[in-house]
Amino acid sequence: MSLKSSILKKSPWVFHLNTGSCNACDIEILDALTPYHDAERFGVKLVVSPRHADVILLTGPITVESLPKVINAIEAAPRPRIIVALGSCGSGGGIWHDTYSTIGGVNGLLKILKEKGIEVDAVYHVPGCPIRPEALLYAIALIKGIVSKKREMKIYKAE
Amino acid sequence: MSIKPVKLIVIAGKKGRVTVKYPFQEPIVTPEFRGEVEIDPAKCIGCGACVRACPPNALELLESEKEIILRYFVGRCIFCWRCVDVCPVSAIKGTKNFELATDKFTDLYTLVVHTRATCELCGTPAETVRMRRYITEKVPISEEYITTCPTCRKKQFAEKIAMRKVGISELKK
Ligand code: SF4
Ligand code: SF4
Ligand code: SF4
Repeated sequence: MSLKSSILKKSPWVFHLNTGSCNACDIEILDALTPYHDAERFGVKLVVSPRHADVILLTGPITVESLPKVINAIEAAPRPRIIVALGSCGSGGGIWHDTYSTIGGVNGLLKILKEKGIEVDAVYHVPGCPIRPEALLYAIALIKGIVSKKREMKIYKAE
Repeated sequence: MSIKPVKLIVIAGKKGRVTVKYPFQEPIVTPEFRGEVEIDPAKCIGCGACVRACPPNALELLESEKEIILRYFVGRCIFCWRCVDVCPVSAIKGTKNFELATDKFTDLYTLVVHTRATCELCGTPAETVRMRRYITEKVPISEEYITTCPTCRKKQFAEKIAMRKVGISELKK
């Protein structure tokens, strides 16, 4: 845990992993890296290989077709492995959660990774369809401990 | 045709800072922006209209013997606000909140727990207590039959018809 947080306090290098998303979330990632939003303020740098990455930005609901490549990419990433599931697709399967060709977001993937013995140290969920660039900046700030978590489980009793 | 570095500095100096300060400032959102939805537990009657309308099943009704739970899973919501449009009592409100990032999966759930009413005659679990009250308020003479389930209602009706067709003395046999 301490290793994870000490690495993330510095500059998290990210690897963008598209697992069959509609590309809206991917455009928003690029938007977050433009000078207007400028995620590089937080040391975020897009790298071309998962071997160089601290954080994997996972977009899309993980189609069956992309699954073997996704597993390979995640396996190639060094420990501590941190996955940030972007968009409603990544975090919960989104609108494709029950279709025949997807495995329903990062939770389905984690089960498969566990079976294969690939450990994932932390998973962050960033809902949105597509995510706003600010939502991604917020997630990065949350990972680095700059902002506090706002969302928590709510249970209401209605009679 | 390339711009000289000195010229570039002049251009950049004229333009000033364009980068937004977020997360150290309030986010800039347009009036049309759609964020997460908020369920008002004081108003919701547990009818399930929003569950029907929700395209990715982010809203679900979980039924058990005693309770009906309306579960909102924001991790799957596509922020279409269809649920806001269909709610008969305006219990769902759209908000502009998008700061939903979390490291714990369960944080993304919102639950509204409703107590279930039962059929007076056979005791099978029926709709929520609140929904019964809502129907009684909206539909005339519904209080006559609302306390029974559709099956019992049908049975009662069939018995009444039979009474008229065959006569009570014949039915008793
Ligand atoms: S979350 Fe929405 S915008 Fe992002 S990849 Fe999925 S469908 Fe596209
Ligand atoms: S439509 Fe409105 S009243 Fe019905 S279950 Fe949904 S939130 Fe509750
Ligand atoms: S905004 Fe759309 S996706 Fe989200 S809960 Fe409402 S109907 Fe479902």
